[in-house]
Amino acid sequence: MTGPGIALRRLAIAGWLLLAGCANESDAPAFDTREDVALGAIAFHQYGCGACHRIPGIASADGIVGPPLVDMARRVYIARGLPNTPENMIRWIRAPQELAPGSAMPEMQVTAVDAAAMVAYLYRSE
Amino acid sequence: MMRTLVILSGLAVLAIAGTALFVYSGVYNVAATRQHTAPVYWILETAMRRSVLRRVQEIEVPPLTERATIERGLRLYHPNCVPCHGAPGIAPEGFGLAMMPVPANLALTAREWQPAEVYWVVKHGIKTSGMPAWEFRLADTDLWAIVAFVATLPTLSPQEYRDRARAIAPLVAADAAPPASGADRGDAERGKVALQQYACVACHVIPGVVGANKTVGPSLAGIASRKYLAGVIPNGPDNMIRWLRFPQQIAPQSAMPDLGVAERDARDMAMFLETLK
Repeated sequence: MTGPGIALRRLAIAGWLLLAGCANESDAPAFDTREDVALGAIAFHQYGCGACHRIPGIASADGIVGPPLVDMARRVYIARGLPNTPENMIRWIRAPQELAPGSAMPEMQVTAVDAAAMVAYLYRSE
Repeated sequence: MMRTLVILSGLAVLAIAGTALFVYSGVYNVAATRQHTAPVYWILETAMRRSVLRRVQEIEVPPLTERATIERGLRLYHPNCVPCHGAPGIAPEGFGLAMMPVPANLALTAREWQPAEVYWVVKHGIKTSGMPAWEFRLADTDLWAIVAFVATLPTLSPQEYRDRARAIAPLVAADAAPPASGADRGDAERGKVALQQYACVACHVIPGVVGANKTVGPSLAGIASRKYLAGVIPNGPDNMIRWLRFPQQIAPQSAMPDLGVAERDARDMAMFLETLK
């Protein structure tokens, strides 16, 4: 995929996130486009998530500090008793210490756009 | 000769294909409102009976006629068994009545089954019948007390049962799994059974345990090499035991509930989880 393509896609996600505040939840876009997924893989690299987590499809992500991120689309709960929804997953990635104080998962200053792309990657249909 | 072989292998292929078709077509009704067909019922009933008989040979039956033992059995029977099995003059709860197969009337069971067989069934339960295993819930002496009481059921009138049940005092059951001695490092095989018995398999993927393929919580694949448990405490044998027993103390909002895991059971589970590198 080309650079401008990724940039456009980022813009699109950013636009959706801006709108999401006032929009109905059912308007949430399907995250599973290939561009989102590709962006997500890049984001996981850039934030070093693989140092602690095993992430299927990302060879260097073989960390054993936290749980492996396998089968995330089918998981019922994430973090500490948080129902697994795209919104909650984004919140968890961005503000883990707020949702699970004392957790070994640090705040990584993940932008909303990058978090959304990560979620697209985790929820991708394999 | 060649001909017979061809015919035989043809039949075998047909049988396998027929079975596959039967399974995948979904034609067999699993609804609890539909009794098994007569042949299936016979097969299940006979297999169950034969399976129990085969496994009770070595069991040593303690004295079961002492008053105190029978009395203790009643105090355990009343809260634990009546909801599904009822008692003389007392119907089971609605959920007991709605089970398939319907839980047995134990006055009849007591006439047809030997004490060692009743003990085995109470202790181990029966797969897919709704009969739970009590091994991890009650102490061995309490299992026998229930057997002792059940043996007296055929002699009890409804009036008598009601009078005696009314008089029973609440009872603190003995520890099902008394704490192991400090030297005991745990038993991985027993731990694997405990993971089933505490329903861990209903929420987690656990490699090596059939049916443990659920994604409610995280997978336990590689849990032995994981650095943290619940994201907060360092992984290690003692912390694992603490986490298994008191998850709500360690991660108060976690969806992982306190399951009343006994110390010995947690130790055995931890031993098994150690093997998941």
